[in-house]
Amino acid sequence: MLRVVKPKNARSKRALDAREPKEVEDPRTVVFVKGTHTGEVLNGVFKDLMALKRPHAVAFNKKNDIHPFDSTATNNGTTSSTAASSTAVQSLEFWSAKNDASMFLVGQTTKKRPNGMTFVRMFDGRVLDMIEVGVEGYKPMSDFKTPKSTPGNKPLIHFASELFDTHPRFIHLKSMFIDFFNGEEVDSISLLGLDHVISISLSPTPSTLNEATSLLPSTYSADSVQANPLAAVASASYLASNMPSTGVSNAAPSSLPKVHIRTYTTKLLKSGVRTPRVDLVPMGPSLDLVLRRYQAPDSDVLKLAMKRPKLKKQDVESGLGKKRKNLEVDEMGDLRGRVHVGVQDLSKLKGRKLKGLQDERLEKRQRSEDGEEDSE
Amino acid sequence: MDVSSILDAQKAREQNVQVDKETPFEIDCGHLMVTDLNPIDEESYTENLEEHLQNLARDGTQALIGALFGLPTTKSDYGPLAQLPSRAYQLPRAKPLPKPKPQTKWEKFAAAKGISHRKKDKRVWDEEKQEWVNRWGKDGKNKQVEEQWLTEVPRNADADYNPQLAARQERKERTAKNEKQRVANIARGESSSRKTELEKTLATTRVSTASMGKFDKKLEGEKKLRGIKRKFDPTEAPVGNEQKTALKLISSMDSDARKMRKTHRGDEPDNTLNARKAIRFASKGQGAAALAGARGGKGARGGRGGKGRR
Repeated sequence: MLRVVKPKNARSKRALDAREPKEVEDPRTVVFVKGTHTGEVLNGVFKDLMALKRPHAVAFNKKNDIHPFDSTATNNGTTSSTAASSTAVQSLEFWSAKNDASMFLVGQTTKKRPNGMTFVRMFDGRVLDMIEVGVEGYKPMSDFKTPKSTPGNKPLIHFASELFDTHPRFIHLKSMFIDFFNGEEVDSISLLGLDHVISISLSPTPSTLNEATSLLPSTYSADSVQANPLAAVASASYLASNMPSTGVSNAAPSSLPKVHIRTYTTKLLKSGVRTPRVDLVPMGPSLDLVLRRYQAPDSDVLKLAMKRPKLKKQDVESGLGKKRKNLEVDEMGDLRGRVHVGVQDLSKLKGRKLKGLQDERLEKRQRSEDGEEDSE
Repeated sequence: MDVSSILDAQKAREQNVQVDKETPFEIDCGHLMVTDLNPIDEESYTENLEEHLQNLARDGTQALIGALFGLPTTKSDYGPLAQLPSRAYQLPRAKPLPKPKPQTKWEKFAAAKGISHRKKDKRVWDEEKQEWVNRWGKDGKNKQVEEQWLTEVPRNADADYNPQLAARQERKERTAKNEKQRVANIARGESSSRKTELEKTLATTRVSTASMGKFDKKLEGEKKLRGIKRKFDPTEAPVGNEQKTALKLISSMDSDARKMRKTHRGDEPDNTLNARKAIRFASKGQGAAALAGARGGKGARGGRGGKGRR
């Protein structure tokens, strides 16, 4: 681990404070790590993905003997392999602390697993989950002679297939890709800056996967997927890992559909109405991926990672987190509210006092009192 | 006037930017994300892959852009800004939630009294110089008295009274006081963990008898300890186990890790004699120097150049 540094001047203190945990987090910095051998394809893929990810990308250009999956796969393996694996996790943790990066993309090509990329996500300086994919088709960005997006602009993300909502592997993949491509959390965005879209789609669902929902735990429902999408993954993989001879990498990868990643720039054409008509121009890179090994998040760690800050009192009052009562937006886009006034007590209503309207008895009494005073 | 043709044209335009699907799109404006949950059409997929993918992406993007353009906007220099709702799809955090900072004593008091924080400017206006000067730091206002060339001395001051030195001392005392308070605040913030530590120790001591505290005297209001069970080792166990436990115990006794008090003098391990007390007693409160001097006076003279002290 890194030694604990005590800042000696204000500048280094600011730099260290910037690394402290925040309520609203910065986008994940991704470190692109090259394994012992990366082919031409992987080098190109890394270059293009970095171009999309900039400025939150760090490149490691030297080779590293790192095999993130071998640690978890061989629990009963030889001692040497477990030692190698633990060093892999250790180096990931070390790099994470050193670069303040919470995501890694490790590339490695071998005869058994050609052109493999491993997405590693960290939480609190430890590995949370991993997904390995193999690159089968790749067309670099430079092959498309088309306009490119501005670096730093937030991409639109498009997922297509029902499996992203039903199959644990693809729910997991979706979460990983959103984390990878998505930028910082903003509360407003310039409508002119929506200049590129990343589309992630699958090949047609094979018939064997049509009853894929049975893989998910019974407690899983469509509503819970938004609140905690990975919970289903963690528990589903837990079920799978209990079965013998499956371990980390269950389900034959050949039965799972391919993943197609395409990137396009958007052209917003005038349509005559407020919403423009969208036209897409391929920008590159385009990737065809197959799923390989994976490591689902540990459910306990995941629980910690999914903790949300408590809503502030101000936000609750302004209606966040709760349905706002008696408020609606009408057809004109105006916010309309209904105010309920209690039953009015008319008996206490004070009108104008007029002499002619005054109570007669009161007048008489007053008159008689005046008379008594006079007599005395 | 017949407007039906105009209305039809407008309707056609609106349809132009609308996408209808069997399952409606799931749109998350916070992430700028759209999910198309319709199954992939096998025919168009095999026919022309790139065109199929682009059509899919176009439909999804059209729906997403439609949703984004429907959001309330504000004007800015860079065109209209759409106000995004909060993110619906939850991602795991990269770091744990920040822990709330412990309140300082002043902050606690200010919160109770309803005093709001007022930030002081770094610079203050100097009436005499007619310019802005630093409140502290280089040529700071707090050092004005020390640095001015002429200072009035109070009438009843001592002969050796140095007003500059006095002002400096006062300023140094203020900083020292502030530092002391800062350290005390930190200690106060950590005190909650100290409490749990004490409670843990107490719980350990309570079960540290053979009967696990069963026959101990109970104080009034003392809570019952829960989840404590007596555990016996099996009567028959391999000799190796016994040896291991014994060695472990010995090594833990030998280690420094749990020692409360550490001996400062390594050369005197058996430090039963309190040397300082003994000297004080022998010299009748005069100290070691006096003792040495008395002995030196009696013994060989000038052996040490007449120095009483060592």
